[in-house]
Amino acid sequence: MVCFIFILLRISPGDPSLKFVSPELSPALAQKIKESFGLDKPIFTQFVQFISNIFSGNFGVSYDFRKPVVQVIKNYLLFTVTFSLISFIIQLTVSYFLALLSIKKMNGFIDRLLGRTSLVLYAIPSFVIGVFLILIFSEKLKLLPASGLMSADAESLSGGAKLADYVLHLILPVITLSLGGIAVFYKYLRDNLDDVFNKPFVLNLYAYGLSKKEITKKHVIPGAVSPLISIAGVELGVLFSGALITEVIFGLPGMGRLTVNAILSCDYPLVIGCTFISGILIIISNFLADLLKAKLDKRLVSGILN
Amino acid sequence: MKKLITNRLFLLSILLLILVFRWKIVCYSFLLLFYFIKLFFTDYSVAVGQISFGLFDYFLSALLIILIPAVIIIKRNSFRFLLSGISFTSITIIFLLIIYIFAPLIATSNPEFQKNISITKLLPPFSSVNEIYSLKNRDESGAYFTLKQMVVKNSFDEHVIFADSIKVDSLITYYQKGQSHSLSISRAFHPEGQFEISRKHFLLGTDEFGRDIFSRLIYGARISITVGIFSVLITFIFGLLLGFFAGFTGGFVDSFLNRISEMFLSFPMIFLIILIIALFGNSIISIIIVLGFSGWMSLFKIVRGEIITLKEKDYFLTAKLLGVGNFNLIFLEMMPVILVPVIVNLIFQFGNVILAESALSYLGLGTGGIYPSWGSMIESGQSYITHAWWMILFPGLALFFTLFMTNSLGNRIKIVFNPRLKK
Repeated sequence: MVCFIFILLRISPGDPSLKFVSPELSPALAQKIKESFGLDKPIFTQFVQFISNIFSGNFGVSYDFRKPVVQVIKNYLLFTVTFSLISFIIQLTVSYFLALLSIKKMNGFIDRLLGRTSLVLYAIPSFVIGVFLILIFSEKLKLLPASGLMSADAESLSGGAKLADYVLHLILPVITLSLGGIAVFYKYLRDNLDDVFNKPFVLNLYAYGLSKKEITKKHVIPGAVSPLISIAGVELGVLFSGALITEVIFGLPGMGRLTVNAILSCDYPLVIGCTFISGILIIISNFLADLLKAKLDKRLVSGILN
Repeated sequence: MKKLITNRLFLLSILLLILVFRWKIVCYSFLLLFYFIKLFFTDYSVAVGQISFGLFDYFLSALLIILIPAVIIIKRNSFRFLLSGISFTSITIIFLLIIYIFAPLIATSNPEFQKNISITKLLPPFSSVNEIYSLKNRDESGAYFTLKQMVVKNSFDEHVIFADSIKVDSLITYYQKGQSHSLSISRAFHPEGQFEISRKHFLLGTDEFGRDIFSRLIYGARISITVGIFSVLITFIFGLLLGFFAGFTGGFVDSFLNRISEMFLSFPMIFLIILIIALFGNSIISIIIVLGFSGWMSLFKIVRGEIITLKEKDYFLTAKLLGVGNFNLIFLEMMPVILVPVIVNLIFQFGNVILAESALSYLGLGTGGIYPSWGSMIESGQSYITHAWWMILFPGLALFFTLFMTNSLGNRIKIVFNPRLKK
């Protein structure tokens, strides 16, 4: 993947060093600037340097921020990870309880209503949801702030009020980011629960005289939830890219907006750093999902060991 | 009861509605076509110089709006699929197709048309302003050009003036935001000119440059659908070829291609798409190509998996041993089996591409700069969110309906062709 990005960057038009060279400078000085970027060396040397730098965690210096890329990303990464995780937890809990609600009466009114709603929510793009939410809650009702992470006077507030300010600013973005995922998880969980309920062993348990509540709690839910984990790992990756658009809508200081801005301003080291780190995040999330799956299902571990 | 309104009836009534509301422009288009053909035989070089996509757009849609109902009515037994009852999906498909084909007839003005911004900007839906339209006198030699001016809507039109109020006596006096201007009737724009004073209606309001949102929405549908169709075509060709290649050859090539597709699947595509588009510029063609190539992995996996299982099937081995040629093996034995999952995948891919295109336009990386696109309309509407809700509501709804339609169409096809899902 890194090689692919490197090739893309080099064959693309536009020279990043031109940004720092004004036309009035002498050609010799321009050449010197180019040399300082290492752009004059043969492409293979550049590539070797590039790879070795990445594995030592050195992504170079951001052209725009004039700071090492790692330091720039560090400020933004924390926000995106917390933001995505909050939204992820909300997605899981809300869809879990909704699925339980709809499983209570299969094909009942609530079930059908939720099914339709999830289909509709799944089809709305996140930026449309975001803009509509801004329109309704911050423009018409004047309830919540539309953009940014804190108010203009946030510095003067005390600890508790500051926290409340953060939370107020995060409500709309989190809803925007979560709705699509809730629809996906809900649909998946509900179908899984439905599947497990129709299995013969459930009928057997009924025959033993167990109550429906007990069967659901002890036998159906564990069976239905564990396949969700592999979906959740993939969905976490989708969430990181979804965070990109949400951050742009609400003007939040996250990785997504940083990446877009870096790409638009030809800040190559920052672009590479951002894409590389988001790639690693996604691989880590998939890996964690695999670990969790192995923990829940011992058969997988023994399968791998054999 | 459900079959009372069939798709055919719905389609025909929508076309009739267009004819009723836009009979003028349809007639003019035919007249223009007639003059154009006349010009083609009398003054060849001028006629060749007149050939443009915009002009033929009008000719084609005027011809089709007569031809399509005629064909449907005459050959009524051939279009069985139109006889089923209407549903949300079919209504949306019919709407989108009609908008796609007849965009120049339906749109009330050019999507980029802007004039007298101080008066027309940010008008709410269902509003109208006074319009002065100056016509050249019709003489025989310039009939073609006069008519063309009336039919083909340009992004710039000096013959139109919007005004708050108009007073006509010996002079035409019109007021624009408190400033009064006057035109003499006798010599205003053209020596023997004549005026037409009417009201211009903006059905869905206008944006910050006074452009008609209704027209922009319609032309935006064209952009979205074009990008969708061509990207899906690229995905189809690329995914199918690679899938066939990997499935047939097997061995090292197979595992290599499989690894590559997994690598691409593990990486969030949107980052890569944004990177490529930002580096190579964002024309409509580059967007089609990038979105087309970014969707090949899932199709590749489906085709490859199907072919690997097919190769083991008895009937396939029998056909092979009977001496069926490679061409027939692929097109008669394999294609019918893999076609349904491929079509379902392509329909979902179509939705994904439209979503990605609008998201890119929203980020300012899409086709939005040159063409009206739903995503860029929402993006520009966000800056005027305090006083122009119509700028984001209508493109948002259009986007939602299109995506909802593709999702439900894909699900429906999946259910129809998958006997195990039937209950």
